[in-house]
Amino acid sequence: MAGTEEIQQPTSEIAFQSKFRWSDMIRVDGRINLRGCLLLVTGILMLVNLYMIFMVAPTDAVLGHVQRIFYFHVPLAIVSFVAFLAVFIASIAYVFRRETKWDNLAHASAEIGVVFITLALVTGMIWAKPVWNAWWLWTPRLTTTLILWLIYVAYLMIRSYAPSPSKAAIYGAAMGIIGFADVVVVYFSVQWWPGIHPTPVVGPLADTGSLDGTMRSVLLFSMLTFLALLTYLIMERMALQDTVDQLRGIRFSLRRAARQDAIPGD
Amino acid sequence: MNEFLRPIGVLLWKDILIELRSRDLVVSLLVFGLVVVVVFNFALNATPELVTEVTPGILWVAFAFAGVLAMNRAFVREKEEGGLDGLLLSPISRDSIFFGKAAASFIFMLLVEAVLLPIFAGLLNFSPASFTLILTIVLATLGFSVVGTLFSAISVQTRSREILLPVLFFPVILPVLVGAVESTKQALGGDTVVGLGHWLPLLGAFDALFLVICHWIFSIVVEE
Amino acid sequence: MPDLIALQIELPSSNLPWLFAAFAVSWAVFFLYVIYVTRRQQEMQNQIRQLRRAMEQQETPEGD
Repeated sequence: MAGTEEIQQPTSEIAFQSKFRWSDMIRVDGRINLRGCLLLVTGILMLVNLYMIFMVAPTDAVLGHVQRIFYFHVPLAIVSFVAFLAVFIASIAYVFRRETKWDNLAHASAEIGVVFITLALVTGMIWAKPVWNAWWLWTPRLTTTLILWLIYVAYLMIRSYAPSPSKAAIYGAAMGIIGFADVVVVYFSVQWWPGIHPTPVVGPLADTGSLDGTMRSVLLFSMLTFLALLTYLIMERMALQDTVDQLRGIRFSLRRAARQDAIPGD
Repeated sequence: MNEFLRPIGVLLWKDILIELRSRDLVVSLLVFGLVVVVVFNFALNATPELVTEVTPGILWVAFAFAGVLAMNRAFVREKEEGGLDGLLLSPISRDSIFFGKAAASFIFMLLVEAVLLPIFAGLLNFSPASFTLILTIVLATLGFSVVGTLFSAISVQTRSREILLPVLFFPVILPVLVGAVESTKQALGGDTVVGLGHWLPLLGAFDALFLVICHWIFSIVVEE
Repeated sequence: MPDLIALQIELPSSNLPWLFAAFAVSWAVFFLYVIYVTRRQQEMQNQIRQLRRAMEQQETPEGD
């Protein structure tokens, strides 16, 4: 029964939460609940951000209210890029260190990055329909973003199709590295692609330079908010991955214990 | 250097020998390439003017899809009889395995393209005897085989490998494909003089980049 | 620039539905994702707890 003793140890780590208490958000078992705090901060930031977008930011003279999508769309796109950068760095760290936490970080960042970039694409299309009168134009920026989306969806597929968790980690790292290198290359090759508009004329980023001061600060605030949201979601997703790993560990040692029990004969 | 090159040569010769005896890959790729052109012709309902405009696209879609098929076979063949384990157990460096397999894919694809190109030229009405075009094909095929070998080694280990390979391969290879199409467009447009544009050097740069990254990642991926 | 002016004339200021759609979709996706992650987290925790309990029960009658 040596196997079962090892499993007993981490019991205290899983606090049995029978009832939700607000104080749990900040401290649990005398320790600061980092995730809870971050959730609280992110929630407040999101609400303030909404106020900023709808009450503080001026209505765009040309595009009207629909321009406010911009304060969601641009931060989503930029933050998803941050997430993919995190995938790249975590993948390299995993290749050299072979520590599960790096792989968990890469996996979590990739998944949330895909969620964010999907939203960036969707909000972009919703913006494009009234402004460009088309859901989609094959501009360099849009094309690059779509390819980015494809690469990281492929990243998630490769992980879920891999034969074992350790293979999933190493294949994921491979895709995380080559995918990010490819994004840079795609960006340049698509820029020089003559078949399409060279630069977005009415695109959201084309007029960043001419943004008025209030608009710019609202945009910056929104970016900060989404960065906080990204961090919170990554932490939540990594905690989930920890639990998954824990459960797998318990299952594994149970099976081993059962096999040991079976050998002497019941 | 000889230590490094000899295993590559042996691996390459092994793949060529298998192909010479079975002849299944090259023949099926040739037929596949022809089918793609015919399907495009029906799908686009091509008039002569349209054909000249979309020729580079058709050409590269045919080559790229044929390439994916070739890559799929490259490691499935190894996997089926446990050959991959044998390769990994043998005293050859991972680099040699990578370059050996990539070289085999490269040569098979070039062979297929060499046969298909004159046929396509006849069907789509262009002149294949262009230095730019040939250099483009060689460079792009190099990129295809390098990236394809890496992803083939990964996808062969997974469930639903036939679907996973194109899903991984195409988004990553896209820069090479864009470069190849644009360069072909220039080549067929007639300006085969010095004005190669920036696409050929760019293709070369992509190849170099992919060569470095892929062969590094390959050694990590197969050591598991 | 002429495009922009044309757009200004064409655009009714009531493109609010688009604005609403974009924000509704974003918030919905965030909430769904968070709910998905927390629910899976809870399921897993429950399973771990069940396994622990089962193990404890198995251990006591045996009398180690």
